[in-house]
Amino acid sequence: MNWILPEGVSLGFEGLSTPLRIVRGLGGGTQGQVYEVDLEGERLALKWYLPACIARDPALERRLGESIRATAPSEDFLWPIALLRPSPASRPLIRLREESFGYLMPLRPASFVGAGEHAAGRLTIGLREVLRACFFLADAFHALHLAGLCYKDVSLGNLFLEPGSGRILICDNDNVAVDGSGQGAVLGTPGFMAPEVLLGQARPGADSDLFSLAVLLFRLLTRHDPLKGQMELAIRCLDEPARRRLYGEDPVFIFDPVDFRNRPDPIEHAAALITWPIYPRPLQALFEQTFCRGLKQPSRRTLTGQWKQELARTLDLRVLCGGCGQENFQTTGASQLCWSCGTPLAEGITLILPRGTVLAAPDNELHPHHFDPLAGEDLRRPIGRVVAHPRDARRLGLHNLSAEAWSAERADGRAVRVEPGASCSLAGVTRIETSAGTVAVQSRSGPGPAA
Amino acid sequence: MPFPDVKLANRPLHFLYLCDCSGSMAASGKMQALNQAIRQSLPGMAAVARDNPEARVLVRAVSFADHAAWHIERPTPVDHLEWRDLQAGGLTAMGEALRLVAAALQTPPMEVRALPPVLVLISDGQPTDDFAGGLEALLRLPWGQKAVRLAIALGHDADLEVLQRFIGGEPEAEAGRSPRRPLQASNATSLAQYIQWASTAVVGAASMPASRVAETPLGPPAGNIPLPDLPPTVLDPTDDVGPLVW
Repeated sequence: MNWILPEGVSLGFEGLSTPLRIVRGLGGGTQGQVYEVDLEGERLALKWYLPACIARDPALERRLGESIRATAPSEDFLWPIALLRPSPASRPLIRLREESFGYLMPLRPASFVGAGEHAAGRLTIGLREVLRACFFLADAFHALHLAGLCYKDVSLGNLFLEPGSGRILICDNDNVAVDGSGQGAVLGTPGFMAPEVLLGQARPGADSDLFSLAVLLFRLLTRHDPLKGQMELAIRCLDEPARRRLYGEDPVFIFDPVDFRNRPDPIEHAAALITWPIYPRPLQALFEQTFCRGLKQPSRRTLTGQWKQELARTLDLRVLCGGCGQENFQTTGASQLCWSCGTPLAEGITLILPRGTVLAAPDNELHPHHFDPLAGEDLRRPIGRVVAHPRDARRLGLHNLSAEAWSAERADGRAVRVEPGASCSLAGVTRIETSAGTVAVQSRSGPGPAA
Repeated sequence: MPFPDVKLANRPLHFLYLCDCSGSMAASGKMQALNQAIRQSLPGMAAVARDNPEARVLVRAVSFADHAAWHIERPTPVDHLEWRDLQAGGLTAMGEALRLVAAALQTPPMEVRALPPVLVLISDGQPTDDFAGGLEALLRLPWGQKAVRLAIALGHDADLEVLQRFIGGEPEAEAGRSPRRPLQASNATSLAQYIQWASTAVVGAASMPASRVAETPLGPPAGNIPLPDLPPTVLDPTDDVGPLVW
C-alpha cells in the first residue's frame, strides 16, 4: 500500500491543539485510506480521502460537519468526531499534490470482525448472537431514522460483528445526511440498493434504507441473498446489466408466497433452504412485507420498530434441542421438530411476563421491555438471565441481574429471597416478584426436563 | 450452538495475465520489475478474494515471446498461487496469446455461469504475429466480449494503438488517465501500482458490486463493470534520484 500519510510521524491539524501521531495504516479502498492514530495517548481512527473522492462529492465536507455537530445516534456507530485539515507545517508531509482532508472516529476494537466473514461462513457464531446482531442493527437504524437522518449505503461492507456477544459497529458514516435533503453523491451498493434507487427513480433516503436494512438482516440470518434464486441461475455472466435486471427491473423474492419464479435452487442456493425455515413465521412475514409489496411500494416496507419487536420476540422463543443441543425457535401450538436433527422439541418452562413470554433456555434474558409498556425493546440492560445449574445442566435457574432482591414463591407457598447476583431454581417455583414486575413460572406439559 | 454450516453461493472469477516476454523486456530490468510487481500484488489480491465471498478468484497467466504458452495453466485460487519468474527472450507473439486465452474462455472448459473474467495484457512492444486474428478469435466468444480487458504499456515503445484495440472503444469525454485506455507505466513504481490496482480494485469491482455514486452511470454503463478509480498519484518521499525510467 502506498500510504498518503507518513506512518510513525506526528502531524499537526487545523483545530487540533496537539499533534496527531500516525501509528500505522489500516487499509485503503477506492474512497480513501484509514489509519490508526494516537491523540494524547488515546487510540483513534483517521480516514483520509483521496482527491477523486472529494472531487466527486462536493457536499462531503459540509455533511461531515453536520454529522459531527449532531453526534452519534447510538453507541453502535463509529461516528465522525472531528474534521481534519492539515496545518501549513504538515501540508508538505502529505503525499498528495491536491488539497485533501479526513475525519477522526473511534477505533474499532479487534474483537469486532467484518460481517462479510459471517456471510462467507468463516465465523463461529451462534443463532442467538446472529439474532442479537440483527436486533442491534435494527435498533441502530431506528435511532438514526428517529434523528431525522438516513444512512444511504447499508451493506455487509460497513457492518462489524462481535461473534461472542452479537454486538455490532457500523462504520463509513460519511454518507449520513438529513433524510430528504438529497445531499451527497452516494446511491448505495447494488444488491442492497432499493430498486427505485438502482433504477434512478429516487434518491436514497430513509425508505430505501429500510430496503437495504432488510437485505442485510436477511443475509445475516440466512447467509443468502433475498433475490438470488432460479432467476440468478438463468444469468450466465453476472455483470452490471444482469444485476440491474435481478435487483431493479424484475426483482422477485426467493420466498415470495405467490410468485414462484425465483425459488432457491436446491444445490446452488442450499443455504437459504436450510436457514429460512429455522425462523418463526411472524419474522418471515416481515421479510415478505419488504420484499414483496415493499419492493415497489417503499412506504409499505417493514419499519425499524417492527424489526426490533419481532427480533426481540424471536430471541424470547429460543430453546435448545434435547437431542442435539442446537438452537430452535419454538412457537406455541403445534408440536415442532428440531430443524437440525429432527428430534421433537420438548415443552419446557415458560416465563410469563406482563409484556410477553420468554421460554426458559440458558442465556435467554428478561429485559425491562418485558415489564414496562412504555419501554422500547432494548437488549442492553437485562434484569434476569436463564442459567443452567453448574452440576446438572438440565436444571434451569433464573439469575438476578438487577440491583434489587427478588422474592420467589414456591409451590408450597413459601417465599425465597433471591439477592442480586444470585440465581433461583425454576423447578418448583410458581412466581417471582421482581422490582420490575411479576414473573409467572409455568412448566408446560410434555416430556420436558423435570420441572 | 454454531450457526448452520452453510456458505453463500459463489461464482468463479477468472483473472488472466497476458505477459510480454519478448527480448526487449530484458532491457532496463523490465522483466524483473514485472515479476516483482505481480509477486508483490498477490497478498493484496488474496485479501480482496477473501473479502468477496460471492466470488471464487482463479488466476492464470500466459507468456508470449516467439510463441505463446501457459505460464500458469490451471485456474489457481490466489492464495495457492506461487509466481515463478518469467524469462525474457524472443519476439512478441501477442496474437497467439490471445488465441490461447480465447480457447480457455470457450464453454467448456469455461463454466456456464461466472463473473466477468478479467484480462490484463502487459506489453512493451509491438506484436510480431497476427494480432488482429487473435483479437477476433477472442471477441467472437461471449466470455471474450464480457471480459474486463485492461492493458498496461511498459515504456515508450509499447504499441498503444494495439493495446487500445484490445481494450475496446476509447472513452470520448474523459481526458487524461482512464482505465479504458492503456495504462502507461514508465517505471517500476507505476507498474507495481497498476498491477496492484488491477488485481485488487478491479477484481473487487468485478466480483462484488461496490458502493455507487451519482456520477457512476447507472443506466447503460460504459462497460459491463464500472471500473474503479485509478490509483492516486502518491508522491514518493524516497524519490531522490528518480526511479529508472523505461
